[in-house]
Amino acid sequence: MLAEGALAAGCRFFAGYPITPASEVYEVMMRELPALGGLALSAPDEISSLCYCVGASLRGLKAMTATSGPGWALMIETAQYALMTETPVVVALVQRLGPSTGGATQGAQGDICLAELSTSGGYTIPVFSPSNAAECFELAVHAFNWAERLRTPVLVLSDKEVGMTSEVVDDEALEIPGLVNRQMATAERGYAPYAAQQPEYVPAFASVGGDIKVTATGSAHDTEGRLRKNSPQVLEVLERLQRKIEVHAEEMAMIKPDLDPDARCLLISYGVTARAARQAVGKLRTKGLHISFVQIQSLFPIPRKWLDWAAADLEVVFVAEENLTGQYRTALTPCLSGKRIHGINRIGKMISPGEIVRAVDGVMA
Amino acid sequence: MPETLYLSPTATLPYCRGCGHSLVVRQLSHALEQLELPPRSVVLTTDIGCVGLADSLFPYLHTVHTTHGRSTAFATGMALADVILEPRGLKPIVMIGDGGAMIGLLHLVHAAQLNVDVTVLVHNNFMFGMTGGQHSALSPLKWVTSTTPDGNRTPPLDLLALLRTAHAPFLARQLATSQELSTTIARAIDFPGFAVVEIVELCTAYGTRWNQATGASLEQIVRSQGYALGNVEARTDRVAFSEVYRQERETLRPKRIPPAVPRLNGSAKLANELRLVVAGTAGERVQSAAKLFCHAALAAGLYSTQKNDNPVTQGTGFSLSEICLSSRPIDYTGMESPDVVMAASDDGFKELDANGTLAVCRDETLLLVDAQIEAVWPKGHVVRLPLRREANPKRAALAAIAAWLVKNPLLPPEAWEAVLALEPADRRAESATALEIGRRLAGAIGGL
Repeated sequence: MLAEGALAAGCRFFAGYPITPASEVYEVMMRELPALGGLALSAPDEISSLCYCVGASLRGLKAMTATSGPGWALMIETAQYALMTETPVVVALVQRLGPSTGGATQGAQGDICLAELSTSGGYTIPVFSPSNAAECFELAVHAFNWAERLRTPVLVLSDKEVGMTSEVVDDEALEIPGLVNRQMATAERGYAPYAAQQPEYVPAFASVGGDIKVTATGSAHDTEGRLRKNSPQVLEVLERLQRKIEVHAEEMAMIKPDLDPDARCLLISYGVTARAARQAVGKLRTKGLHISFVQIQSLFPIPRKWLDWAAADLEVVFVAEENLTGQYRTALTPCLSGKRIHGINRIGKMISPGEIVRAVDGVMA
Repeated sequence: MPETLYLSPTATLPYCRGCGHSLVVRQLSHALEQLELPPRSVVLTTDIGCVGLADSLFPYLHTVHTTHGRSTAFATGMALADVILEPRGLKPIVMIGDGGAMIGLLHLVHAAQLNVDVTVLVHNNFMFGMTGGQHSALSPLKWVTSTTPDGNRTPPLDLLALLRTAHAPFLARQLATSQELSTTIARAIDFPGFAVVEIVELCTAYGTRWNQATGASLEQIVRSQGYALGNVEARTDRVAFSEVYRQERETLRPKRIPPAVPRLNGSAKLANELRLVVAGTAGERVQSAAKLFCHAALAAGLYSTQKNDNPVTQGTGFSLSEICLSSRPIDYTGMESPDVVMAASDDGFKELDANGTLAVCRDETLLLVDAQIEAVWPKGHVVRLPLRREANPKRAALAAIAAWLVKNPLLPPEAWEAVLALEPADRRAESATALEIGRRLAGAIGGL
């Protein structure tokens, strides 16, 4: 469904390298892209995969690759290049148990930090995290839309249990946003490849091979794309790369709230664990606990305003996620100051509704 | 065509005095003039190193300055995309050093295999210049660098020989000082496919400082490595990727849309979610039986999830599917405590034990297992059926599902008929037989 969502979003280029549990995306793209007039290709490694995608995007195509943690580790240099050159590209990161080769056929939500902190300079790569097949489709479209609109790499952070579980999808119920395409430069005169104005802070795009000269570079550059040292304009460009993400953070925010006006606590989850959390909330409410629940779909930038809203007046917050150290909880903690934050974590297996119920009961009972 | 459309005549070349890079950018400009290529059809893709300073010297070409060693891969991506776009005809030219060629060797190899229309100019000055004169994979033996002060002892890589084995159709090696260089570069760019020109030159900041090397001795340095100079190998038997793609497009079949599972009138009803585990041996159609079952449930109006597991080897050991069925959308897809567990083989049963499924069974959990499995289990209502003997191993899992459904008729027969109709004929007959045997064996379950 992630691949189908990408196709629906207008993706016409895919380069992939086999890795469990992301190979399904690769196979679907190889099968279906040619018939849509696109190109899907087997790359010799993950670095090549993303380089091919970025090259194709520079030429003007919407492009995606799919991988898992080990492959993303190899792609990070190229993802930063896409960020620096403001080249739209989508990476589907289907998580498996790490570190290293880890457990290829075991799910995990262990790449949150690797997604959040993958750039020198700490720039934000937007990250969307689906919890089921339908959301894989929907969030793939959102990911492409934001990649195009902000001219930046975007991650769809799935995992083995979401990506490799077959389930019924009601295609009529899919919430598919309208498609967004990168804003194109219209005239060479006065065009500066890295100059952008508020409120979008995103420069117009000129494609390689088109009539307007492209100057793309991963080195620190001014608005004309010239390598400059000690130039205030270079620093302005570097600051704008982060600002364009931050000013759109609220618009990018996607959460699924299920709030109880009398709630005594808030449960936060995302991805596959959000499914267990939703079920756990039902059980806890049946037992009489007033609890609110929020599934976060846009992990980064953190949907801060929505969190403030959902956690307002609550002292206790639980964050359930399938990793050892509470990676997203750690990222959220500064946004939840003054609250008692409890992690519900495990690795090696999906967190079950029962585990969440017991953890919440243990604190709230 | 005026020269200004390529190398800016006012450009101050940023290279050290005597550096071969200055010669190469001039010869590249001459080559583009010879070909009269529209500037906007060319994308100069430069690597990291002093070669990466060339972008600003060509103010009318598209320029893409990349990460170290990856220039060929980015250029390949642009060339691939160009194949499916109109108008076509992009000419990516890569400028890369010997250091970049080695770290990005895989990209050169794959571009050669694909035969994309990319021209790579490898500036081989035997070392890393910009970073201070370090040894590279193309340093000649005894070459003195900052990291091989006593001379290089690692035999240099013959890049062209390596790319020849990768089926690169156009290969040439020239001195930067050669009068032929612009013609060779022009031929490479004009060649319909992947072309590599290794341009041998000297780094005057470090190479000539630490080694007895001059422009006059450069040819001797190359020949002493056993390399030919000035020759061009151009194969005519390889078809460029763009042409391969066009030929494939002509024979392309329309998108294959798998037949949709039909939705029957009326829906099966489940008061509570049902959770089942079906386990067996890899290659014995365990997961495909589970899939058929889930499709039948879908036809009957139920929601389902199917989560498969198997060892990483795929074709050996166990095979397992966890299935949830519900009248409503399903959240958690795991097995906190299954309602039904089916084991079609000993492999499957062992995995149910190993993965903890048996440990979370309740007293009322039904364990439907093949009669040959001789094991004890802590909890659950056990029924043994001669699945493997009566149905055969490849039908055992589906037979088990069918047997259970006789006692728990949550799916109408039409649901099975609907999904069987979507199966290929041979598989359909197999599945129908498995279902029939399972239904017959159901009589033995009794008393549930």
